[in-house]
Amino acid sequence: MWNIFISAFTTVLLWIYNVLGQGPNMFGIAIILFTILIRLVTWPLNAQQMKGASAMQNLQNDKDWQEIQKKYAKDKEKLASEQMRIYREKGINPFGSCLPTLIQFPIIIALYQSITRALATTPYGLLQLSRSASPFGFLNVTSLIPLNSKFLWMDLGLPEGIPWGLNISFLPYGFPLLAIIVALTTYVQAKLTMPATANPGDQSAAMSNMMSLYMPLLLGWFALTFPSGLAVYFITSNLLGIFQYAMQGKANWRNLLPGGNKQPQIQAPKKTK
Amino acid sequence: MSKKFLFLAAALLAVILLSGCTGGSVRGNTWPGLSATNDVAYLTDGPFVYAINLKDGTELWRYPDQRSNKLLFYTTPYVTSDGLVIVGSSGSDASLLALKPNGNATPTVAWSYAGVKYHWVAAPLQIDDRLYAPNSDGNLYVFDLSGGQADKQPIKVLELATDLWAQPVTDGKNLYISSLDHNMIAVDKDTYQILWNEDLGSAITSSPILASDNLYVGSFASNLEKFDPANGDHASVQKTNDWVWGTPSLIDNNLYFGDISGNLYSYNLETGKYNWNPITLKPDNWAPNSTKTPDESKATAITASPLAVNDFVLVATESGAIYKVGQDGNHELWGGQQQQPGGKIYTTPVLAGDLVLVAPMTADAYLYAYDLNGTQKWAYKPAN
Repeated sequence: MWNIFISAFTTVLLWIYNVLGQGPNMFGIAIILFTILIRLVTWPLNAQQMKGASAMQNLQNDKDWQEIQKKYAKDKEKLASEQMRIYREKGINPFGSCLPTLIQFPIIIALYQSITRALATTPYGLLQLSRSASPFGFLNVTSLIPLNSKFLWMDLGLPEGIPWGLNISFLPYGFPLLAIIVALTTYVQAKLTMPATANPGDQSAAMSNMMSLYMPLLLGWFALTFPSGLAVYFITSNLLGIFQYAMQGKANWRNLLPGGNKQPQIQAPKKTK
Repeated sequence: MSKKFLFLAAALLAVILLSGCTGGSVRGNTWPGLSATNDVAYLTDGPFVYAINLKDGTELWRYPDQRSNKLLFYTTPYVTSDGLVIVGSSGSDASLLALKPNGNATPTVAWSYAGVKYHWVAAPLQIDDRLYAPNSDGNLYVFDLSGGQADKQPIKVLELATDLWAQPVTDGKNLYISSLDHNMIAVDKDTYQILWNEDLGSAITSSPILASDNLYVGSFASNLEKFDPANGDHASVQKTNDWVWGTPSLIDNNLYFGDISGNLYSYNLETGKYNWNPITLKPDNWAPNSTKTPDESKATAITASPLAVNDFVLVATESGAIYKVGQDGNHELWGGQQQQPGGKIYTTPVLAGDLVLVAPMTADAYLYAYDLNGTQKWAYKPAN
């Protein structure tokens, strides 16, 4: 099943490359176009994710929600059942913002595998390629081999790096420009999607904040270690994500500034004697 | 908290899955390389180069002694006339290494060259004191073996193509090199002048064979191609059912070669015709109650060159079976069903004295030795 998934991805990727004319830079452009295609297909998922995240964030400021947090702070079971009640009443899916993100992981992995399979840098890889694209019939793989893996200054089959004449063991390919761009765009995307919060004890905001640090590091490490074709995918996908958030009016540009994700705290009214 | 856990678990899963598919120093990234002298078999299989004693299948040495995440080996080890073992790495350190065996100790690196960015797929070729090493960057690197410097530099770098995956062959005067990007190229071995360069229109993964004053090579256009070495004039002499991967083997006046659908061909150089209709070597000859079952998939590719042994050829297949094929086309499982190594065999078997060496991918052991009747003599599996 997974193999059919990879084969389908590989075939579409190669088909785009073939339509583009197979020349230098064309495989990189094929990856970009394929990413746009994937983004279009997963657009509803992403929209649902934004909607879910927004609903969860609004819930943190809900009076009933805050009340049950205080009331059942020591009774986790009761707290959970009350939370579920509020979810039901307000029509919120608690995993609505999380599941679309999880669904994208297999897509990332499949895309990575289809890129490496299409580039076929080893004999075994080439043999697998012959079987990946041919089951769908309409593509003549024979005429496409070997793929031209050059894109700008990169070889898409190798980790990216600009030679800098320094011998740094964990950066054997040189200055990792793409990895840095991947980390930056991931960070920007994560920050833009973080809603402002007025609640200092907001767990959801704390988690979002943590993920906005984890994910850039994780994807940056992927870009540093794996073939640069994957980094091209990450950057394109991140930029499209930012574009989608902006289009839907969800981008919170103030978050890019230090302390920009905090709304002014609502002062509790002073008790009078 | 559950969301956080799910997200982190997914990220971790992604790391594991992606890491599992990369070209790191892991076995199984592609098939191993195998060669042998009279006493020693040399095997490249992932992070190590192994030297194995042919007498009993024991490990003599491995290089490097500790796994390195920068080195990855699968080129066919090439033994020079003075006993150096030349291997190219496909890891992030894409060095060409000349290993100097030293008994059972880890060999020393007599010299190395780290000036390429791309990985090594093809084995080099020595002619006199010159070593001709094709790299997948499309360049042919020529080294002077008479110099003793440790940091060796090529005396000539010839830009021939975009991808070179096959070892050059020579008629003593010229080199003939096939490229993955569709070309067959002739180069004067002394002047390095390109004599001719012919486009076949499809990829070539194997070296050509010189037979009856002509060059023969199989291509991904599913053809057997014939070249005139003098001027590069060429023609497709026979069609095949699928891509031809390995170099044809010659017995008497007949060429034997396979395709990736599992068909074996026998081409007569005199008549210019096939001796018989292609034989499909599929594992349906296996008995159903066997404890050694063939690969359940329909993977039956023949990527290895048939090995000429006396008056028959041994054909190793992706299904893990080795077939003995006579000149009349009669074929059988070599040595019987219980002797088959299993796994997937893509590497050309090697004849070393009275032993046939087979290096499967994904089998129990890394290397199997058989006598000429197909009876297993020993199997080598690294201790760690």
